[in-house]
Amino acid sequence: MANQKSSSGLPFPVILVIGIAMMAGGFYVSKNVHIEFLTKLAEQGISLDPGKTISAIGVLLILFPVIRSFYIGPLGDAISGRTAELERTFTEAESLRSEMTQMRSDYERRLVETESAAREQIQSEIRKAQELRGQLEADARSRADEYLHKAQADIENEKNRVITDLRLHVVDLTLGATEKILGENVDSDRNRKLIAEFIDKVEVPG
Amino acid sequence: MGEVLTAGTLLGAAGGEGGAHGASYEGLFVYLGIVVVILFLFLNSAKQGLNNRVFKKWTTQWTEQLYLFIENMTVGIIGGHGRKYIPLIMALWMIIFVSNIVSLFFPTAPTADLSFNLALALISIGYVQWEGMKANGVAGHFSHFAGPKLGGGLVLISLMIFVIELISEVMKNVSLSLRLFGNIEGGHQAVVAMNELGAGVYIPIGFFLLPVKLLTCVVQALIFTLLTCVYISLVTHHEEEGHEHGHGELAGAH
Repeated sequence: MANQKSSSGLPFPVILVIGIAMMAGGFYVSKNVHIEFLTKLAEQGISLDPGKTISAIGVLLILFPVIRSFYIGPLGDAISGRTAELERTFTEAESLRSEMTQMRSDYERRLVETESAAREQIQSEIRKAQELRGQLEADARSRADEYLHKAQADIENEKNRVITDLRLHVVDLTLGATEKILGENVDSDRNRKLIAEFIDKVEVPG
Repeated sequence: MGEVLTAGTLLGAAGGEGGAHGASYEGLFVYLGIVVVILFLFLNSAKQGLNNRVFKKWTTQWTEQLYLFIENMTVGIIGGHGRKYIPLIMALWMIIFVSNIVSLFFPTAPTADLSFNLALALISIGYVQWEGMKANGVAGHFSHFAGPKLGGGLVLISLMIFVIELISEVMKNVSLSLRLFGNIEGGHQAVVAMNELGAGVYIPIGFFLLPVKLLTCVVQALIFTLLTCVYISLVTHHEEEGHEHGHGELAGAH
């Protein structure tokens, strides 16, 4: 309290000295100074003692800063601190709210972006799958054509072989029959050649 | 019988050494000591409740409400810069109120003494003058007493206004102190008179004045501090508002 200043701006020790001096001066005035006007006033029912007034001023001069530093100052500080804390809490809440709003908009934006990316990825995968399907279909078609050509070639080969075998067999049958008819062996190379030429000529196409 | 009632009821507040003439010098300071002890016991109890974030002690809650009330009053009357006067106004309010309450339970009280009330008024008005001089400068403050600047022969009118304003400032002390003294001492006299009326039937009729006296205690503390705020407002409003405007309007209020 010694370093505190009162409302008037004077340091407390100065106020204390002034207060004590006024109390002492008031006591002296009350006991030794008598004013005629105040005596008449007291006779009329209004007692006024300047000494008491001066001393009371001295007491009050000391009392005001003491009450201020003892309670009113701390109370004001507590109320101001609480108000400041409330304001800070509200500010923090407001900040958190705006942060949450920002996070929410970020989240929504990211959600939209994710959905968009997912859609694009799905479309991309669908495209890839379609391409793969086309490729697989083309491969399958190509291999089927290859198998078909191969099978046709095999059939052709087999047909030719069978025809050749059949031709040989027919030649053998013909020769056998002719041999039986003629009673002689006509199984010469020249005859075979003739017969083969004959069969070629009479062969039905396809 | 009246003396028995006076001693037997808490309202027998007009007795004591001084009676209608107030307490003696020593008596006044004994009562002032009682006021200070009660005040500091209350404030000490209230101070213990300041540690909590939410004030739970009833004494702390009461003083908090008083602080907020005084804050509203000072800011409402004086303006935004009125907050710096809260400690003075609140201290004045508490001293006057506790002293008035003491007058309910004791034969006399500091505020039932005109000398003490005059001291309160002199401090209040003296502080107002000090603030006025701080706000406007010594010359500026006293030049306000002369009213608007007039030229020529009208300077005499300014001189008259200056004298009237000086008397008005002095009379503020008288009005503040006499009003408080009259209300508290008048309450004592009324209690004594009514107790004497009921003395024959052994009924302390003065006891029934307790609610009215309690109301008087609150109202007188309020009036004294309210007028102090108004006086401070008169001398410190010039920097925010026009001189004529502020002075004219607020002067009408009292």
